[in-house]
Amino acid sequence: MTEKIIRGKCWVASGYVMAYDMVVQKYWTDPVDKQLNSRYIMSGVAPEFEAENAFKNAGYTFIVAGHNFAGGGKSIEHVVTGLMGAGIKAVFADSFSRLQFRNATNYGLPFITVKDLVSVCQTGDELEFNMETNTVKNLRTGEVRETAPLAPFVLEVAEAGGLVEFVKRKIADGTAHLLR
Amino acid sequence: MAGMTITEKIMAYNSGRDKVKPGELVWTDVFSVMTMDYLGKSTFKTLHELGKTEVFDRERVICVSDHLVPPPTPAFATMLNQWRQIVKEHHIKYFYDLGRQGIAHQVMVENGHVLPGKISIGTDSHANTYGAVGAVGNAVSVTDAAVAMAIGKCWFRVPESVKFYVTGKWQPYVMAKDLSLHIMGMMHWNGHLIYKALEYAGPAIEALDIAGRMTLCNMTVDLGAKNGIVAPDQKTIDYLRPVQKGEWEMIASDPDAHYDAVYEIDVTNIGPTVALPDKLDDVVPIEKVVGRKFNKAFVGTCTNGRLEDIAILSQILKGKQVHPDVNFILVPASQQVYLDALRAGYITDLVEAGVAVDTPSCASCAGIHTGVAGDGDIILSAGNRNMKGRMGSKNAQIYLTSPAVVAASALTGVITDPRLL
Repeated sequence: MTEKIIRGKCWVASGYVMAYDMVVQKYWTDPVDKQLNSRYIMSGVAPEFEAENAFKNAGYTFIVAGHNFAGGGKSIEHVVTGLMGAGIKAVFADSFSRLQFRNATNYGLPFITVKDLVSVCQTGDELEFNMETNTVKNLRTGEVRETAPLAPFVLEVAEAGGLVEFVKRKIADGTAHLLR
Repeated sequence: MAGMTITEKIMAYNSGRDKVKPGELVWTDVFSVMTMDYLGKSTFKTLHELGKTEVFDRERVICVSDHLVPPPTPAFATMLNQWRQIVKEHHIKYFYDLGRQGIAHQVMVENGHVLPGKISIGTDSHANTYGAVGAVGNAVSVTDAAVAMAIGKCWFRVPESVKFYVTGKWQPYVMAKDLSLHIMGMMHWNGHLIYKALEYAGPAIEALDIAGRMTLCNMTVDLGAKNGIVAPDQKTIDYLRPVQKGEWEMIASDPDAHYDAVYEIDVTNIGPTVALPDKLDDVVPIEKVVGRKFNKAFVGTCTNGRLEDIAILSQILKGKQVHPDVNFILVPASQQVYLDALRAGYITDLVEAGVAVDTPSCASCAGIHTGVAGDGDIILSAGNRNMKGRMGSKNAQIYLTSPAVVAASALTGVITDPRLL
């Protein structure tokens, strides 16, 4: 996550987005792999995403959602890796399911809390996310919203390329036991 | 300086701190890590990616076969074979495989792999169940579990705590499940309790056995919470003494601990409660749905598949017959529960009444096997989730309720208030 400013097109959720619908049941036993998991990501969320690669081919960079994004109690990581494989660089929501918030943190996909961004965005709007100023701007309307800053630990993990790489380094240099 | 809640204390003591504050990110020691047939292979694969070939403690990584057993398809049978091979290669001491299996969360608690004041995690969302014995139980993903298997640690954001103080007297046939669903209807699943530690306290909680506390803590994940917890008491000591896999000390919230919110509930006013199909928080008192027809009854799962639940079924169904329009499936939560229910005579009572009893597993709650739902099915379930497609077909409806309501209704073929039997 070296880029501090990201621009791109957003998809705006119209209601609750549940992990169950983001990755439908028949793919739950697939291996965790960004490309593989992205093929049918979001296929249960809306009819237009049912076809193979439909969500990916739509070319979104951001998701904008309301409360409890990716909720419903599934811990599967395919939700996050599927979004990453489909080109999503950040998700903005009023709140996130804690399981998927962990997964996003562990894989280095920013899940960022923003109040009520859904009300000022439409699917297809260009957004600009600035991680230095902690803001997100709708380039169509000029509207700017503040985002909750990412915790240093979250950035550290993202910069290492994910939790596995982060911990692997600590194990390799013999400092894993010092984590507290 | 204000005191700490039980969850804050557990986070502090297991991370080598005197004190923690909500919002703080900490790495804590983990007492036990559970993984199961469904995600276990990936978890061990990630362990290897971390550069480790052995787990941090072979007595504290617990492996369970629960989602896929007995295997319903050749593909699942193959997955299970690979899973068994991997578990063996890592010399795991406690492997609850088919024959000694149970739903992971039941197995973890009934075998003393979770202890008061300690933190246990598992690769399944209902790991919150462990709070029933005063542990912080938390659901994590494959990556988190693999990291914990490698180094015995996990990162956490210290949650804000919310207390439910429950008083009053439980009405006959009203169960912990009814209180769980009542709270679901009161708080909604979609946001108010996200990331929170839910603490259940008060005389009506103290009156619950460990089974009821497990039901309550189990469903906190469905409220969006991080964990649910009941402080240990004499019942916890008695339950754990014969099975505990380690030493522990009593722990409780400080009297001056800070809570984000405190809700007082008088359980005297709560009757049998039902969640309507598709949405967990679309909850009504039973009076609103009495008389509605259904064709399938299901009792089982990590929420309501315990001996105490089966005892209620037996109490209601013994010497009677399940209505001919209803197919009733019972899946005990573990082999231990099954054996105890057999010895108590409950299974005989239920089979005589026309209940089909199946091998302990997650069963149709995972939508995989053992009585999955087909088009047009209307299911009265004592499970934990009722989203479209949860138990199989998207064209089935799932009502959630207590085992007592399922049993009473199974006699009549329509939703029935067990208090009026």
